[in-house]
Amino acid sequence: MSVVFALATPPAKSAICIFRVTGRGCLSKIPELAGSPLEKNKKFYLRTIKNKSGDIVDRVGIISFKGPDSYTGEDSFEVYAHGGLGVMAMLVDVFKSLGFDEAPPGEFTKRAFLNNKISLAEAEAVVDLIDSHDQGGVVLSSNTLSGDFTEKVLGFSDTINNLRVRVEGEIDFSDEGESFFDSSLPNELSLLVENFKLFVGGCLNKKNHSAKNKVMFVGPVNSGKSSVFNRLLGFERALVSEKPGTTRDLVESEIFYNEASFSISDTAGLRETDDVVESKGMQFALEQLNSVDLVVGVFDSDEGSILDRFAELSNEKKYLKVYNKTDLGHVVREGVFDCMVSAKTGEGFDGLKKLISNAFKSDISGDYMYLVRDRHIGLFQSSINHLENALLKLSEDAGLELIAEDLKLARSDLNEIMGVKMSDSLLGDIFSSFCIGK
Amino acid sequence: MDKFDVVVVGGGHAGVEAAYAVYRSGLSCALVTFEKSKIGQMSCNPAIGGLGKSHIVREIDAMGGIMPIATDMSGIQYRTLNTRKGDAVQALRVQCDRDLYKKAIQKILNSTSINIFEEEVEDLIVEQKSVKGVLTKNKKIYGKKTILTTGTFLNGLMYIGSEVSSGGRVGDDSAIPLSKKLYDLKLPMGRLKTGTPARVKMSTLDLSVMEEQPGETPTPFMSLAGEVKQHQDQLSCFITRTNKTTHQIISDNTHLSAMYSGNISGIGPRYCPSIEDKVFKFGHKESHQIFIEPEGIGVDLVYPNGISTSLPKKVQEDFIHTIKGMEQCEITEFGYAVEYDFVDPRTNKKTLETKYFNDFYLAGQINGTTGYEEAAAQGLVAGLNAAQAIQKKPDFILQREEAYIGVLIDDLTTHGITEPYRMFTSRAEHRLLLSQNNAEQRLLSKAFKLGIIPEERNTTFVNKEKQYAEFVKTRLDKTKILSFINKEQQTVSLDEKRSISSILARPDVDENNLIELNKEEEIFFKRASTEIKYKGYIEKQTREINKNKKQNNKKIPPSINYKKISGLSNEVVEKLTKSQPETIGSASQIEGVTPAAINLILISIKKQELEKLNA
Ligand SMILES: Cc1cc2nc3c(=O)[nH]c(=O)nc-3n(C[C@H](O)[C@H](O)[C@H](O)COP(=O)(O)OP(=O)(O)OC[C@H]3O[C@@H](n4cnc5c(N)ncnc54)[C@H](O)[C@@H]3O)c2cc1C
Ligand SMILES: Nc1nc2c(ncn2[C@@H]2O[C@H](COP(=O)(O)OP(=O)(O)OP(=O)(O)O)[C@@H](O)[C@H]2O)c(=O)[nH]1
Ligand SMILES: [Mg+2]
Repeated sequence: MSVVFALATPPAKSAICIFRVTGRGCLSKIPELAGSPLEKNKKFYLRTIKNKSGDIVDRVGIISFKGPDSYTGEDSFEVYAHGGLGVMAMLVDVFKSLGFDEAPPGEFTKRAFLNNKISLAEAEAVVDLIDSHDQGGVVLSSNTLSGDFTEKVLGFSDTINNLRVRVEGEIDFSDEGESFFDSSLPNELSLLVENFKLFVGGCLNKKNHSAKNKVMFVGPVNSGKSSVFNRLLGFERALVSEKPGTTRDLVESEIFYNEASFSISDTAGLRETDDVVESKGMQFALEQLNSVDLVVGVFDSDEGSILDRFAELSNEKKYLKVYNKTDLGHVVREGVFDCMVSAKTGEGFDGLKKLISNAFKSDISGDYMYLVRDRHIGLFQSSINHLENALLKLSEDAGLELIAEDLKLARSDLNEIMGVKMSDSLLGDIFSSFCIGK
Repeated sequence: MDKFDVVVVGGGHAGVEAAYAVYRSGLSCALVTFEKSKIGQMSCNPAIGGLGKSHIVREIDAMGGIMPIATDMSGIQYRTLNTRKGDAVQALRVQCDRDLYKKAIQKILNSTSINIFEEEVEDLIVEQKSVKGVLTKNKKIYGKKTILTTGTFLNGLMYIGSEVSSGGRVGDDSAIPLSKKLYDLKLPMGRLKTGTPARVKMSTLDLSVMEEQPGETPTPFMSLAGEVKQHQDQLSCFITRTNKTTHQIISDNTHLSAMYSGNISGIGPRYCPSIEDKVFKFGHKESHQIFIEPEGIGVDLVYPNGISTSLPKKVQEDFIHTIKGMEQCEITEFGYAVEYDFVDPRTNKKTLETKYFNDFYLAGQINGTTGYEEAAAQGLVAGLNAAQAIQKKPDFILQREEAYIGVLIDDLTTHGITEPYRMFTSRAEHRLLLSQNNAEQRLLSKAFKLGIIPEERNTTFVNKEKQYAEFVKTRLDKTKILSFINKEQQTVSLDEKRSISSILARPDVDENNLIELNKEEEIFFKRASTEIKYKGYIEKQTREINKNKKQNNKKIPPSINYKKISGLSNEVVEKLTKSQPETIGSASQIEGVTPAAINLILISIKKQELEKLNA
């Protein structure tokens, strides 16, 4: 495969940036790149990189990994350079002049997979790891990566196999005087279905999870939503004025807190309005409510009827009630709000941030064990459907060959998840478990 | 000097079927075999069919082969297995009169233009990587194509306890010079073994203490060609069992068995274990079943199926006499194990022509299979392809989803074997498509196009298919009823009238009570019922097959060098290099070849193609 390179660190100004290069023959290009070869594998060397016209680009660190002992399984090396955008741009030019191609996304992992360094499920988890949005996601991904997930799936395959051995045995060797098949089979099958469902229930679908944590601010007009929003962002993103109904469109932005990112949006304040533009904005905000994960109500009064109306709006969603304008010193009832802040002074904002990020943490606590992709969920579901169908056919006393077919399909769905063809030693298993043959 | 289109070596089940296929293709054929009188001999148990096997026989039948007809000419007990399961896994097993079977084959061959030579083939005429014919002691026989079907005879050695003798079958010679020739040609060879039980005089058995197993009535036919009109007289089989005393004698003497003494290096089939194997490996079982199978009508001989052995004669005698009903029996021939050479079947293309020598085909047990049916199927494939090639017509290859024969050939040529290969229904991933009862629908028109079945038979078939379509339309789709009887024999009323076909799809219906049928319609009805029950599964399989077809049919250029494909593991490189799969489909079937590896191969083929284009 061709030699490709990629920037392994974010394309932003930082102290250091890392380029990774992989592909057959890439190590032989090091002298051309950095003046001289690296004597030892997996050792860090300092070198100067110059461009075609002989100008110094940067003084860098280089380390080589000879295949197959590298991430991709091919010859690879890494370049540690200074993190200026200018240096990065020049390094890209240098790599290209050596005939290296820019790697498409996921290329390194793909190669690692093709070279049998990781299984398909594991390869996908690495991709998840890279674009995971928060710490929690990372933990889940590495669970998948560790092979724990693989082991679980293999366990289910084994159980299906055991059932298949008996069903296929009964089909192919029915005149052998062996009893392959007894009343325990339906029970074992339904136990398998139950366990399997539990396991799949514990798999958090990657799509749901890595979608940005969406937070939406709602509240009555002029309660200070835009001010709170701006304060959270740390700069003036939304317009603020004392005129009620200032915000008319949805205003979106992103904040980072505790290594997590949230997409937050400010909305038009809700009131009975006859201003067409504003009512449109409100309508849009209401529609958006469905796709958000957390609704934050911002209020500047504790009037029960207003609070009730918003509680109703957010019905099924996670909902935080925030009282704004504490600096004004109004008295509010105890325990009505989750959090008291002042957008003006910044009071209470640490607490608000914590509340927001905690609202998401609980999502990925204990119950969810594995982070999987849509593809996995689809295949698991299909596998379960086949098992349930087999169970149904058993109860209907349908032909055993149909039950065998469903078991086979259930098993092959799992094969596909693992991305490998698990050796099908079905006949061998039949021969070693039962005395067959005349 | 004798010159033929095709020279077939060996008059076993593979050889006979090959020669008959060549003959039916309108070409000249020589059949060279040790003894004329043993053509079509059943070396082991006198039965044809069984699970996976009757499927093959019906496929041979749909292509006008000889085995199904000879079976019906000699069948003395017919039994359908798995009657409580669905159509795809039901199988007919026919007990044959050993002598009549052989005579039937010989009678059919004698009515053809096939030239039979009673000679031992000792050498092959090889010119520039191409086989031009065979040499016997006194003759040179030339053929445009040569098919080797020498069964268990290649350097065959027979073992009884510590006695060893040369031979491919009791009472027969072993083919030693020919074996040596194959080694000289550097074909990849190996050793396999199999065994057979003692034969016993029927008149010395006490059948009254055994369980009688009569054949099925009305007696069905193996062949659907309609050529055999009348069955032989039907006989029963009997069932008895081994017991603790039997097992004691066997385990006390296991070390004396040829198979356990370490003399035999060949690998035996796990599904055909000797009785010493069964006792050793499944010590917890107190008893094993034995089928007492008559060897023929008016023949005072039975084949006790289930106690194959290579124990010394004295021990055989002792343990057999402990078995219920066999206490006084007289043994006419002792059980033995036979070890023989085979050629790694990955040597062959799917036409069964070897990859290393042109015009040279291998078929039957020489390819590491066991069983008459498996041998016959290969004979048919090799014979047809030799004939096709001579006539410059396309290869005849059946796909895995078309026939068990396709599964057999693909398994052999891409996976090779690790033990003698026998067919099982579970080997066919498209099992639901491949019933013993739909072989004609799958293969008959193909055979007709090849010109190997008579016009008349094709017409009958086509008409019958028309009748069937009509039956489904008028009797099943259009006939509507308001109630039916369920499996609990209760009447179920429907809210509105529904067609018979839609009711057949219900799991709870008792089909037997659905409509009044005449005899002819009964077959149609059963067929329709199966088709309706399988419909969903079959649609799914068909979709899957079509999805993969394009990629699977992609040819792998023989010039491919797997070692040069970066990223393939050594194990995969080794396996692929050894089996040299012809297509991506075959490659992906090989154990250990992952989808990722397939991608790499595809990419490398693509690259090669691009490079060619650019050059
Ligand atoms: C002892 C024994 C036990 C068996 N047990 C079982 C079993 O348990 N289950 C099972 O399914 N199958 C069993 N079989 C296998 C079954 O008999 C074979 O699979 C089947 O007969 C193979 O058919 P074939 O045409 O390949 O070869 P065969 O039927 O063996 O025929 C080979 C023919 O080639 C001829 N021949 C060989 N060499 C030469 C030569 N150099 N020149 C001329 N003619 C030659 C022979 O005379 C013979 O006619 C057993 C076979 C034997 C011998
Ligand atoms: N004293 C005080 N005034 C505040 C605070 N937060 C917002 N305000 C004032 O309240 C008024 C409305 O603020 P906005 O942030 O525009 O309110 P909003 O909820 O976005 O209003 P609409 O977009 O019109 O619905 C402005 O005059 C702000 O200066 C606060 O914490 N303390
Ligand atoms: Mg606002």
